[in-house]
Amino acid sequence: MWKKWFIIVVQITVLFLLSLFGTWLQQTFHLVIPGSVIGLILLFILLYFNIIPETWIKQGASFMTKHLILFFIPATVGIIEYYQLFSGKGSLVILITVVSTIIVFALAGWTSEKMAAWRRAKHE
Amino acid sequence: MSEFVIAMFAIVGTIISYIIGRFVYRRFYTPFLLPITVATIIIVVVLLVGNVSYDTYMLGGKWIHSFLGPAVVALAYPLYQHRDLLRRYAVPILFGNFVGAFVGIVSGLLLAKLADIEGRLLYSLLPKSVTTPVAMEISEAIGGISSLSAVLVIIAGLTGAMLGPFMFRIFRIRSEIGRGTSFGAASHAIGTAAAFENGQLEGSVSTISMILSAVFTSLLTPLIL
Repeated sequence: MWKKWFIIVVQITVLFLLSLFGTWLQQTFHLVIPGSVIGLILLFILLYFNIIPETWIKQGASFMTKHLILFFIPATVGIIEYYQLFSGKGSLVILITVVSTIIVFALAGWTSEKMAAWRRAKHE
Repeated sequence: MSEFVIAMFAIVGTIISYIIGRFVYRRFYTPFLLPITVATIIIVVVLLVGNVSYDTYMLGGKWIHSFLGPAVVALAYPLYQHRDLLRRYAVPILFGNFVGAFVGIVSGLLLAKLADIEGRLLYSLLPKSVTTPVAMEISEAIGGISSLSAVLVIIAGLTGAMLGPFMFRIFRIRSEIGRGTSFGAASHAIGTAAAFENGQLEGSVSTISMILSAVFTSLLTPLIL
């Protein structure tokens, strides 16, 4: 039991370092992509070319993705500072955000699904 | 109360709200009661009733928030596990996200025109489909208000995560490739978390889509404007 948690903590530390390194790269080279996403791409490359084995991050990464939403909660609570947005013209901005999101959601998924099906049919 | 005690309350309170959120979701299984929605509502109500400011809450909240970076890095692992499938569907996913980014910007522009919204409010609105740090950068670059963009990003995320199952039914999007693209392209990481609830492959497609949509949106927004 303790051994399992020890492994998770150590592996999360590895993920933390990658995230910090990504942020450092972003700031040093003034990149538009956020540091955490750079860290994601780095980790993928490290795994892909077998530079680090899967076992180094397996439990930690699984734990973090399983509870991904927990880490968003403090940022989401930040909505509390913008309650005035829900009245007047602000409510229109929110409505537009919702409608535009629905359009993107429908068209992006529809496009990739149809293209995937079309390519599958062509290969058969 | 010392800052340490406040921080501990905020951290433990957030984790308990999250556990309640998960429990409610498991119990009723409706997308309107996603763990993130329930947990956020609980905390917002507690803060409002107790007359506690967001800054005070963030004394503890920032510790949980600081794990967001490593959590995003961790998404590389499911991506790696599904690398072969993702490579096979690379072109559809790329194309779907290009369409998504384009439509996201153009629909935002047109709807804003219709509602007579312009200037900083309009510019803050355009990058809503992408992950917070990128959205804030784009917003600032084109003359929007970055903190307003951050709020709209959250609303776009919640819209996708909550309405997703209904939209899939209405628009008949059935495959994991299609659903993952929808979640990632329109609702970034909040959508990706919802996609992972449905399965590892769907979550991985959503992770890639979230990255692609951020790249496409930052390239397309200045071009379209």
